[in-house]
Amino acid sequence: MSRRVIKDKIFAAVTRLALFLSLGILAFLVLTIAVQGIKAFSLQFFFLPARDFGASGGISYQIIGSLLLVVVAALLVLPFAVGTAIFRSECVKSERLKRGLDMALFCLNSIPSVTYGLFGLILFVNIFNTGISWFVGSIILAIMMLPTVTITSFQAMNSIPDHYRENGFALGLNQIQIIRRIILPQSLHGIVTGILIALARAIGETAPIMFIATAFSGVTVPNSLNEPVATLPTHILALAQQATNPDALQNAWGASFTLIILVMLFSALAYFARLKFKTLAQR
Amino acid sequence: MAISAASPSGRPRGRFWTRAGYMGIYGSAFVSTALVGLILLTLLFQSGPAIFDVGNTLHLTEWNPSENIFGIVPMIVGSLLVMLIALTLAVPTGVLAAIYIAETRSDKIKRVVRSALEILAGIPSIVYGLIGVAYLSLWVADIFNLQTGRLILTAGILLAIMILPTILSLTEDAISNVSDRYKENGRALGLYRHEVITDVILPQAKPDITGAVLLALGRALGETMAVMLVIGSIDRLPDPIYNVLSSGQTITSKLGREVGESAFGSTHFSVLVFMSFILVALSLLLTFLSQTYFKTGRRHV
Repeated sequence: MSRRVIKDKIFAAVTRLALFLSLGILAFLVLTIAVQGIKAFSLQFFFLPARDFGASGGISYQIIGSLLLVVVAALLVLPFAVGTAIFRSECVKSERLKRGLDMALFCLNSIPSVTYGLFGLILFVNIFNTGISWFVGSIILAIMMLPTVTITSFQAMNSIPDHYRENGFALGLNQIQIIRRIILPQSLHGIVTGILIALARAIGETAPIMFIATAFSGVTVPNSLNEPVATLPTHILALAQQATNPDALQNAWGASFTLIILVMLFSALAYFARLKFKTLAQR
Repeated sequence: MAISAASPSGRPRGRFWTRAGYMGIYGSAFVSTALVGLILLTLLFQSGPAIFDVGNTLHLTEWNPSENIFGIVPMIVGSLLVMLIALTLAVPTGVLAAIYIAETRSDKIKRVVRSALEILAGIPSIVYGLIGVAYLSLWVADIFNLQTGRLILTAGILLAIMILPTILSLTEDAISNVSDRYKENGRALGLYRHEVITDVILPQAKPDITGAVLLALGRALGETMAVMLVIGSIDRLPDPIYNVLSSGQTITSKLGREVGESAFGSTHFSVLVFMSFILVALSLLLTFLSQTYFKTGRRHV
């Protein structure tokens, strides 16, 4: 065999090896989390509060807390993201302003998550003196969700053909009426998909909320805006730090698998929302 | 789009809603843009004491709040080391695997890998941290026969696993985007498959791959939870400096560990904010660089 043939064979083998290595790591991660997680699952695990610093009992308040944080964050971000997307797609004519707006969203997207936590701690918890509060956590998560939701909504609005708008004008609608009657209904799939993708990301975030919104033990469902909650990611963090205790570790796996199931749920909803609403809009 | 904002309807009610609608749209766009400035200014103001009070100790390699010595060099070196390890492990693996996927003719493998990558991207970083604590750090301790596995190396390996999906999927896109014409010409010249890849496809896809690597680097730099759990959190330079088998600290792990404990308004807190400001500046720089690479890449195709 010539050297080139041998080189070709080696190259093929190496790339194949790299793929198997990547897939092997993936299989290990998914199987470990699923197998270890299911061991912790039981009815009590989902419906009982945590006891003994998380080593026994369940994660009911953590599930409620996590969902509360991200759903309120989604409600907070929705008007701002949709408004910004409309502004970018329907109102701006200056290229410079468009670029500036893109740049701002881009910056928001690339700021590390721990910095958001620090920002929330400085501005809300200390300067506005809110104390550790789940609502502040929702505000911070909403800011983190803003770029995703805005960009997805904008893309949906931008892909509406111009003759839709022209038809609206021909019927005597003004721009706000066109936005309400044409742009918003026709871009609904993008808005819903963006929100769901952002939810899937936000629910797994730990760093932005661990200083400002959560407490580890003694927390139930909050009665007011400035009370801490318990969440799944911070619960996993606390349990991971006592990983030498097998019971705590077991519950950490259970909480992790629950968290991943919630992430997958939001992702799957996003996938179906894209399919379902899109066909409606194009009908 | 050139549509005038003038409203043909003269009814007062209609005019009210039109005005409210515009106010909502302009207002929310303003808020979204202003947020960036608000975040940066907040960080800048809070890092004032760090610069003016203890600015002359920031370049030191010793961190000792009780004696007002706040050298942030160990954290920066830690971040760089961890990123370097992650890149050296993840880039070759990711690029080679991406070559295999892009070149294979089996759609089944492509589908499997794509959905697998989507699952991986959905795993929150705290769960990677748990894997690091429960498995990876124990393995590393066993292999190198050390008392603890919470080392710079462990954090690097864990980060490599976390950025692998990003590198793999973006590189695969980059390679698939290279026009088939180039491949066919290469084959027609009698090049072997590996020669087509290394001499024809990779040079074409290089800007996009560089962009992907920079993007992954930005993620690695800002990653907190996983790193914080496995790096050991010791504010000292490794000795010698390339000794990755020692515990260390990154900027993010430092923030994650100490922001909650330090008192607001203290010098200690201010130095942490200053470190966070450096972190933001570096991540913005990396993302902007990656974007310029992606753009030139697209012009090529």
